[in-house]
Amino acid sequence: MADGGQTTERTPREEAVLATLDRQAAALGHLRDLAESATGDDQALGWVTLEAAADRAVRDHEPLLRARRLEALAPDLAAHQAGLEHHRRAAAHALSLLDAGVRRDAERRRGRRVAVIGKGGAGKSMISATVARLLARQGRRVFCADLDSCHGTGYSLGIGTTFAELPPEALEEHGGSSYGWRLATGLLPHQAVERHAVTAPDGVRFLTLGKIGDPAEQRARRSVVALRQILGGFAEPGWDLVGDLEAGPTTPFERYHSFAEQVVVVVGPAWRSALTARRLLPIVAGVPTIIVSNRFRDEPDHEGLAPEVRVPFDPAVADAERAGLAPLDEAPGSPAMQACAQLVELLTRDLHQTDNHREAVR
Amino acid sequence: MRIAVTGKGGAGKSTVSGALARHLARRGHTVVAVDADPNPNLALCLGLPQETVETMEPILNALLASGHTHNDPKPDPEDLLTRYGLQAPGGVVVVATGKIERPSNACLCCGSHNTTRSFFGGLNADDRIVLADLEAGLNDLLWARPGPDDVVLAVAEPSAKAVEVARRAVAIAQGMGVQRILGVANRAESERDVAALSEALGIEVLPVAEDPAVEKADEQAMAPFDLDDTSPAMADIARLADWVLQA
Repeated sequence: MADGGQTTERTPREEAVLATLDRQAAALGHLRDLAESATGDDQALGWVTLEAAADRAVRDHEPLLRARRLEALAPDLAAHQAGLEHHRRAAAHALSLLDAGVRRDAERRRGRRVAVIGKGGAGKSMISATVARLLARQGRRVFCADLDSCHGTGYSLGIGTTFAELPPEALEEHGGSSYGWRLATGLLPHQAVERHAVTAPDGVRFLTLGKIGDPAEQRARRSVVALRQILGGFAEPGWDLVGDLEAGPTTPFERYHSFAEQVVVVVGPAWRSALTARRLLPIVAGVPTIIVSNRFRDEPDHEGLAPEVRVPFDPAVADAERAGLAPLDEAPGSPAMQACAQLVELLTRDLHQTDNHREAVR
Repeated sequence: MRIAVTGKGGAGKSTVSGALARHLARRGHTVVAVDADPNPNLALCLGLPQETVETMEPILNALLASGHTHNDPKPDPEDLLTRYGLQAPGGVVVVATGKIERPSNACLCCGSHNTTRSFFGGLNADDRIVLADLEAGLNDLLWARPGPDDVVLAVAEPSAKAVEVARRAVAIAQGMGVQRILGVANRAESERDVAALSEALGIEVLPVAEDPAVEKADEQAMAPFDLDDTSPAMADIARLADWVLQA
């Protein structure tokens, strides 16, 4: 039977995918407008941000092109891919016309996208929160998301609570999205952050999942897709994103880290923490990783897990964690906080190294 | 009897579960230890060697490898236990529900929760103790669905975050009608740590002392129970066994 011109009915799943593509196309279009209309240094920042975003989008789009469940969307998927490639080429061309020094400065200003993973208790939240605040102290705009259904990051940020949920008006029910909810139509990721995120010390903007444990309301499930959409679709130039993932392999397996360009793997001194890290590395393969040893005393490195940063054991940090306070406020200048500053330096160093790595992976 | 051990990641669930299972087995009980964490470590805390722990085949991974799909009839939990259970020291039988190893298209995580539920509820617990060491966080507790006759241990270390997670775990268990819920103040360094947890949870709390022997065992990849079964923490976990067994 000929199907030319015939409109087929979309499944909820297909609708959700198309909505995601539309959202992505709108975000990249928005970035391109910003780059084209910006002047001076902001123009370079716009183009490097667009290039990175298009690059990430192309990478994320590839599995969709191969997905058998989405065969019916083949023309839409191909058109979207062409659009992504077009943005990528436009950005590369604009950047090729820029002075190398201007481009490097823009790369430094370009927002970092960092996911933090590790075994439970390894120190993910402490490191996420401290890194977020130290980035903000450099004058950068920072959005920190607690993706753990057992929130803890808020204490380490110093807001005295673990809870900063998206309000109901930022969410909408949708059958095709996993868990049945998504970010409200028309609400752009940076708008969600500007309107709804809590402002933590040093100006870090902060959101958490809803609370788990209320089976009737399913609040955690309701907000998880929206929070991931905010991280994945964020398109304002110059924002750093820090995502604190849930303990263990489940959320990396579900690719909660897919928004990130760098993954920090936190390893504690215990053998089991190292075992977890070894299990996590293949799950996040393809994204550059930085291994951080936390609560380091003087034990030998775990085999195959030589850390780039060692955060020493520090009783003052342990006391802050006990009390639910920010180590950065309670133990400023401590060796542990200095090590976190060292991690921030690594994260904000020239991204060329990671770019090369990405090329190699591709 | 069924026991579910829950709490924040790193709170000490596996350490407490492993030593508790060994203490219960020593008192003559048949103990089935279920590692419900997709990052399974319990076998190590029960005293199985590192190589065995890494090669151990969790139920879900084995079923998927053999071509089982969710359209096939649900396998009998007792049969799965016979096939995939491993004999650990002290007579404890240990089985893992599912391990996440690499990116794949199969949804292992819901599968592992599902396996936990059918296993925790489906195994005969009339004349033996089924002890489940749950995944970090609260999600697995919702899936495991302990009932009025079951025991829930909410483990916390002395950090504000861990105490908060335990507090919510207790509220969830109470909401499910669980009668016997105990708070476990792990790595307690003082009475104040125990009191803080007790006050937050509003239920009975027992301490498991901060103990260098546990840390030493972990660094050597062995079970604390096998390193020194009379160390302060192991002695405290013996008191947890008393509490669990009191009628």
